[in-house]
Amino acid sequence: MKRTIHGASVGVALALTAIANAEPGAKKSVFRDAETHDMIVKKLKATQNLDPIKKMQPSEGEDPSKKNIPKDLISSSDVISFNGVTTLVPKRAIMQVPENYKARLNNHTPGNKVIGWLDFFRLNRGWITTVEVTRAQAEGKEPLAEGVSEHLSKSQNLIVASYLTGPISMLPQKEKEEKETAEAKP
Amino acid sequence: MNKSIFTAILLTAGSLSQGYGGESDFQNFIRQVQLPSDGTEGTVWNVTVESSGEELSPLPINPNGARFELHTVKSNPLTGYLLDTKYVSSTVPVAVVQIRTEDPYETVPRTRADRPFNVEISVDGLVSGPDDPEALKKVKLLHHVQSFGEGGDGSNLNRTQATLLGQGFIDSNGDQVLQYLVNSVAGADRSKVRGEERFSVFSLEHPEVDVPESQLDSATVQIWPVADGTISGIAQGQLIDYQVPDVTIAVNDIYPNAQIYAQVYEGNQSLGTEGTVVSGSALIIEESVPQNRVLVVEDWDDVIPKDGVWTIELLTATPFGIDRLDWVTFNVDRVITVNGSVTTTE
Repeated sequence: MKRTIHGASVGVALALTAIANAEPGAKKSVFRDAETHDMIVKKLKATQNLDPIKKMQPSEGEDPSKKNIPKDLISSSDVISFNGVTTLVPKRAIMQVPENYKARLNNHTPGNKVIGWLDFFRLNRGWITTVEVTRAQAEGKEPLAEGVSEHLSKSQNLIVASYLTGPISMLPQKEKEEKETAEAKP
Repeated sequence: MNKSIFTAILLTAGSLSQGYGGESDFQNFIRQVQLPSDGTEGTVWNVTVESSGEELSPLPINPNGARFELHTVKSNPLTGYLLDTKYVSSTVPVAVVQIRTEDPYETVPRTRADRPFNVEISVDGLVSGPDDPEALKKVKLLHHVQSFGEGGDGSNLNRTQATLLGQGFIDSNGDQVLQYLVNSVAGADRSKVRGEERFSVFSLEHPEVDVPESQLDSATVQIWPVADGTISGIAQGQLIDYQVPDVTIAVNDIYPNAQIYAQVYEGNQSLGTEGTVVSGSALIIEESVPQNRVLVVEDWDDVIPKDGVWTIELLTATPFGIDRLDWVTFNVDRVITVNGSVTTTE
């Protein structure tokens, strides 16, 4: 059942009900003089007095919207640019960058148009190869299939890891990482 | 236990690019960021999607959940904007926030500084058992407001600077509607505020699984100022004895989806009277932000067929009705009186 918390007096209930019942595109023929500051101030006072959130169980503490803010997309991406277009993939999604393509990485040319990954890949299949990985491989829980790494190392293309055609970051392999950590300990 | 969840992703690409003032220079990206249970970095997947529509995410979500992020990127200069985030997990509640206004515009909820709006919130998945974690028994509703500043249109708005106007707990599942008679965006002249109000629902911090308070859903409504306008070139009570003068119509802050026009009718001013639209005075605005216009109307005698008292009104038609911005009542007396005499000489 839908509960309605009224933030307004009966005098304004009609306007609010109109929203609930409004049909998109419904024509209105209400004539009025444009409302002035003083008229709107009265409504604001009513809104403040009857603020629906004040009727809820009060909550305190830091504003969570200002904590744990997701990383900026640009700084957490690798930017690939070529021939007037640019796209972004997550950091660690690029598995290999041949020397002759390094200038196309993180070097957005002013005037380039940013497009989605699929459109960019369609235009640049000649020098970009994708490697479909599993979720476990992306999370570093499983190695790439036998032969894939060898095949990649022989490729002259820029190689991007993808999961169901979308570029995905490749975390370091957990076993390898743990082994390196253990070896580093005295 | 690894529980797979398939999550619906709703894309509103058009709205978002429009919100930043242009459509062709923006590209949207959706990211699914996995949140591992050990607090380490999770995988980041760029979801490949069409520019609008819905689809299920095929990437199963970790037990600790995943955060879906909607970004838009401006090509020149290369700039990223975080537009929305949703945290999804097998354990936290689900929330949906929608804002309804009288404006049927579908791209983004918007209304005018003097008009009401409703916030519809739906929460599901809250638990109430004595042994259930406290973190799953309620969610937090936040209400933020932020002004665009004088003449601002919301471009390059730093939303971390929004003011938290209120917060409260929702501790029961179900739907509820919060009704607001008018916006609370700061501004000395309440008719001229422009900004946005954001309502967001956050999960509570869940120490057992090391997940901080995370946004489950949010919705934002744009607030645009009330238009003002003037008719100049003709004065109240002016007597017109020959040709009507040219008049200048100036309107500020025309609502993004509105018409302006001048009409003339016989008699003293009377709100709600339908008159004859003055040729050359009508303008249709279909923009994403308010507009200012100045029009000069000439040769409008044709709408005054006879002498008498007449009124010219400046009106704007919006999704909220028809507002009168200015009016002038004047007198027309075109009878030519010749004072003279006829004499003959013989």
